[in-house]
Amino acid sequence: MILRVLSRLFLALSAIMVALPIIVVCGAALNSGRTMFFPPKDPTFARFHEFFVTETVWVKALSNSILIAFASAALAVLIAWPLAYWLWSRGSRASAILAGLGSMPFALPPIVFGVGLSFLWTFLGALGAIWAGVVSHAALFLALPIVTISIGLQSIDRAHLDAAATMGATPAVTFRTVILPQTIPYTVSGFFFALVLSFNEFIVMFFVSASSYSTVTLQIFNSLRNGYTPTMAVAAITFIAVSLAVFSAVARWGDLPRLMGAEPAKT
Amino acid sequence: MIGLSLKGIHKDFGSVRAVETTDLDFAEGELTALLGPSGCGKTTLLRMIAGLEDPSGGAIRLGERDITALPAHKRRFGMVFQSFALFPHLSVRENVVYSLVISGTSKQDAMDTGERLLDLVQLKEFGDRRIGELSGGQRQRVAIARALAQEPDVFLLDEPMSALDAKLREDMQVELRLLQQRLGITTIVVTHDQREAMTMADKIVVMSRGKVEQVGPPQDIYHRPANAFVADFIGKANFYDGVVEKGGVRVADTVLTRDPPAGFINGSDVRIACRPETPYLDSNDANGTRIKAKVTFVRDVGPARDIHLETEIGPMIVEYARGENQRDYVVGQETIVTLPTDGLHVFAKPGWAAE
Amino acid sequence: MSVTSPAETAARTPFLKPLIWALILFLCVTPFLLIFAVSFGHKIEGASWEWGFSFANYQRVFVGASWPDEITFLYLQKLYYSLYYAVIASVLAVLTAFPFTYLMTGLSRRAQSAWLVFILASLSLSEVFIVMGWDVLLSNRSGLPMVFKETGLTAWLKEVGWFDTLREWGLANPRNVKFKTSVFATVLTMAYLVWPYAVILLYPPLSRLDRSMVEAAQTMGAGPGTVMRTVILPSVRLPLAGAILLLFVFLLGVYVAVTVFAEPAKQTMAVSVYEAVRGNTLNAPFGAAQAVVLLITAGIFLVLGQWLSRRGTS
Repeated sequence: MILRVLSRLFLALSAIMVALPIIVVCGAALNSGRTMFFPPKDPTFARFHEFFVTETVWVKALSNSILIAFASAALAVLIAWPLAYWLWSRGSRASAILAGLGSMPFALPPIVFGVGLSFLWTFLGALGAIWAGVVSHAALFLALPIVTISIGLQSIDRAHLDAAATMGATPAVTFRTVILPQTIPYTVSGFFFALVLSFNEFIVMFFVSASSYSTVTLQIFNSLRNGYTPTMAVAAITFIAVSLAVFSAVARWGDLPRLMGAEPAKT
Repeated sequence: MIGLSLKGIHKDFGSVRAVETTDLDFAEGELTALLGPSGCGKTTLLRMIAGLEDPSGGAIRLGERDITALPAHKRRFGMVFQSFALFPHLSVRENVVYSLVISGTSKQDAMDTGERLLDLVQLKEFGDRRIGELSGGQRQRVAIARALAQEPDVFLLDEPMSALDAKLREDMQVELRLLQQRLGITTIVVTHDQREAMTMADKIVVMSRGKVEQVGPPQDIYHRPANAFVADFIGKANFYDGVVEKGGVRVADTVLTRDPPAGFINGSDVRIACRPETPYLDSNDANGTRIKAKVTFVRDVGPARDIHLETEIGPMIVEYARGENQRDYVVGQETIVTLPTDGLHVFAKPGWAAE
Repeated sequence: MSVTSPAETAARTPFLKPLIWALILFLCVTPFLLIFAVSFGHKIEGASWEWGFSFANYQRVFVGASWPDEITFLYLQKLYYSLYYAVIASVLAVLTAFPFTYLMTGLSRRAQSAWLVFILASLSLSEVFIVMGWDVLLSNRSGLPMVFKETGLTAWLKEVGWFDTLREWGLANPRNVKFKTSVFATVLTMAYLVWPYAVILLYPPLSRLDRSMVEAAQTMGAGPGTVMRTVILPSVRLPLAGAILLLFVFLLGVYVAVTVFAEPAKQTMAVSVYEAVRGNTLNAPFGAAQAVVLLITAGIFLVLGQWLSRRGTS
C-alpha cells in the first residue's frame, strides 16, 4: 500500500520535473514587455499575435520550418519504404547493411553530420538552398521511418500473404491489397516522428542553411546570446502543442506502446 | 473426372526430408483427411498442393493437367488457414469477395456472390462487421466462405478447428462436412485430431515422420490398422509384446489364440494391439482366450465405462458402453477377461519402430 | 516461403535498388567521408581552406600546434569535458529513468499510451527550448535563485553554514546561490535532455519483462528490494548499460546546453568543432579533425552500446 503511494508519488514527481522548464517557458510567453520574466508581468496574448502575424521574421521562419519538416519527412518515408521492405522480405546481409548505413546519421552526434553535410553542399554549390536543407533532414531522420515501417511489416502475419496467394493474388496485388494497407499506420507514424523531430532540429540546419534562410529553432538559436524575448516563448509553446497533438494522434490511431517496443496488445 | 493426384512428391528442407516420396490420389468430390501428429509433414504436403511450397521432386496433377510448376495464385485452390488469416483491414464482406475483386469480377457479380456465400455460412447480417468483432466460430465461417468464393477446384483446410473451443469444434465438423457434401467439392483437411478426421473424411491418410502409414476409409483404418503406429494413433488400444506360436501369440505364459492365425512364422517377435471395446469381462459365451484379471481402477464418464485391469499378460483397459454390461465393478475385484480371437491385431516388431 | 518474391519485385523496378544504394551512400556516408578528407587539409588566410595531406590538425588536437617545442593538451581537455559531462549526465538520466519506466510499464496500456505521448513530446522538444527553459529557471535574476532569496532559503543556508560549502562548489556568489555557469547546471540540463530518450530506450525491455516472474519471487518470500536486486536488475542489466552508452554518445554532440551553462574554461569538443567551422576561428580542416576524433569516440561507444542492447533483448 505504502509502496503504491510512493510509486504514484515518484511518477508524479517525474512528470513535474519534466514539465517544469516547459511550464516556465509557457508562462514567460504571457509577458507584456520585451524581457522574459517568470512569473509573467502584465499577462497578455500580444506575443502570440506578433509571432504568428505581425513579425515577418518569425512568420517567415515558421513557414520555412513547416515546409522543411513536411518535405523532409515525406522524403524520408519514400526512401525508408524500399529499405524496410527489402530488409523484411529478403533479410539479406546487404539490406541490413543498407539499413544500418541509413540509420547512421541519426545515431552519431548531429553536429558531426552537420559539418559533413556543410562540406557536401558546399562542393555541390547547394549550401544555403532550402531543398538541400530538406534533403539533409530527410537523411538525418531516415532511421525513424525505417524503424516504424519495419515494425509494421513484421506485424503482418505471413499466413495473410499465403492466403492472398491462394485466392489468386500475384505478389504485386498482395503488396497493394494486403501489405500496404496493413502498414499504413506505421508509415504515418514514421512520417510524424520525422516531421516533429525535423521541426525541432537546429544544429544540422544551422550548418546547411549557412544563414541564408532561417527556421524557428534557428532563429532562437541565433539570438541565443542576445537574451530571450517572450515571443521566443510563444514559439516554444507552439512547438510543444504541435508535438503533443501529433503524438496524441499517433497514439489514437496507431499502437504507440507497440511502436515503442512493447509486446503486441492481446486482443 | 477432375481429381488431384500426387506422383512421387517429396520435400527436403536442407538435409532433412520433411515429406518422403508420396503417391496419393484425391478423388473428385471426396473429403480426404491428412492425419498425423505434429511435425509429421502433413501441413508441408498441403502447402505443396496449394502451391505455397515447391516440392523437391515429383509431380502434382489436376485431372490431366500437370500443375507442379504453377504458382499458388494461378492454382487458386481455396485454403482455410490455421489462424484463418483474415485481413483485419477489410470488412467481412470485403474478405469474402477478395478473390473476385482482385480478379476483376464486376462489382455487382462480386456483391451477389458475397451475399450468397455469407448466406451459405449463415453470416448474412455480418457483412459489414470488422474481423475483430467476430467470435472464433464466425471467423472460421468467414474463412471458409472466402476460400470458396473463387469456386476452387480443390478446397484445402489446414487445422481448421484448432482455434475453436472443444464444443464448437464438434458442431463445426458436422457443419463443414454437410457443406462439403452439398457443394461436392474435392477437399483436403489437415488435422491431428483422429475424431475430427473420422467425423468428416471419406478417406483418411495417416502420416508420421513424413511418411504415409496408411490410406483408407475411416472404418478400415480403425478396424484394420496397417501397423502399430496407426493402431496407437487412431483410437485407443492395449499393446503387448509377444512371440508367434502355432498361429497364436505367446505373451508371458499365456498363448493368445487368433482366428485367422497370425501370418508370421513361429518364433517371430511381434506386437499385438487390442481395442478396449473388444474384450469381454465374465462372459461365458464369448469365444477367445480367457485370462485372470483384477480391477485396479474404474472410470465412468457417463456414456461409457473404462475398467482398468491388472492381468497375467500386463495392464489392460476394457471399455463398455452404457448398458452393455450391467454388472458393477469395484477396485480389487477378481474377474475373468476374454480376448476374442478376431479382436487381436498382430504387427511385426519393426512396424512399431514408427513410434 | 514468402509469396512476395523479391526477385519479381526487383524485376519490375530494376532501377530502384541501385538508386536507393546511391542515395544512401551519397547522403548518409559521404558527409562523414568528407569530414575525414577535409581533416587532412589546411587553412589558408581569408577564411578558406585547401586540400592537403598532413597530420598537422591531428597533432594540434592531441599535443598542440607548436609541438614538440611546446606541448599543450587544450583540445584533449575539451574532449575530456565532453566525456565528463556525458558520462555523469547519461548515468544520472538512466538511473532516474529506470524506476520511472519500470513503474510506467506496470500501468494499463491506455495509461502507458498517455505517458508515452508526454515523454515523446518532451523528447522531440528542441534543445534550444529546453535550454531556454532551464536558463530562465537557473538565471541569477529570476527563477530558482530568486525563489531561494524570496523564501528566505538563502538566509537559512547562510545561517547553517552550508552556503560556504556551496560557494566552494561554485554554486553561490557572495549574495545568493547561483547556478550559471556551473558543472551542475550543465549536467542537469544534459541529463534532462536525454531523460525521455532513456525512458524510450528502457521501455522495450521493461515492458517485455514477465511480471509473473516478480510475483513468483514474491510467493517465494522476496521483498520489493530483493525482487529488484535478484530478479529485475539482472534481467535488464544489459539494456541498462546499453542505454547509458547510447545516451552518452548522443550527449557528446550537445552544443547549446554547454555554451550556455558551462564555464568558458570547461567547454567541450562539440563547441570547439562549431567554433572552428562556423564560429570565430574559421578553420574548417581543424574543425573536421576534431569532428573525426569526436566521431571515432562516438563510434566506439555506439558499437559497444548496440552490442549490449542486442545481447539484452535476444
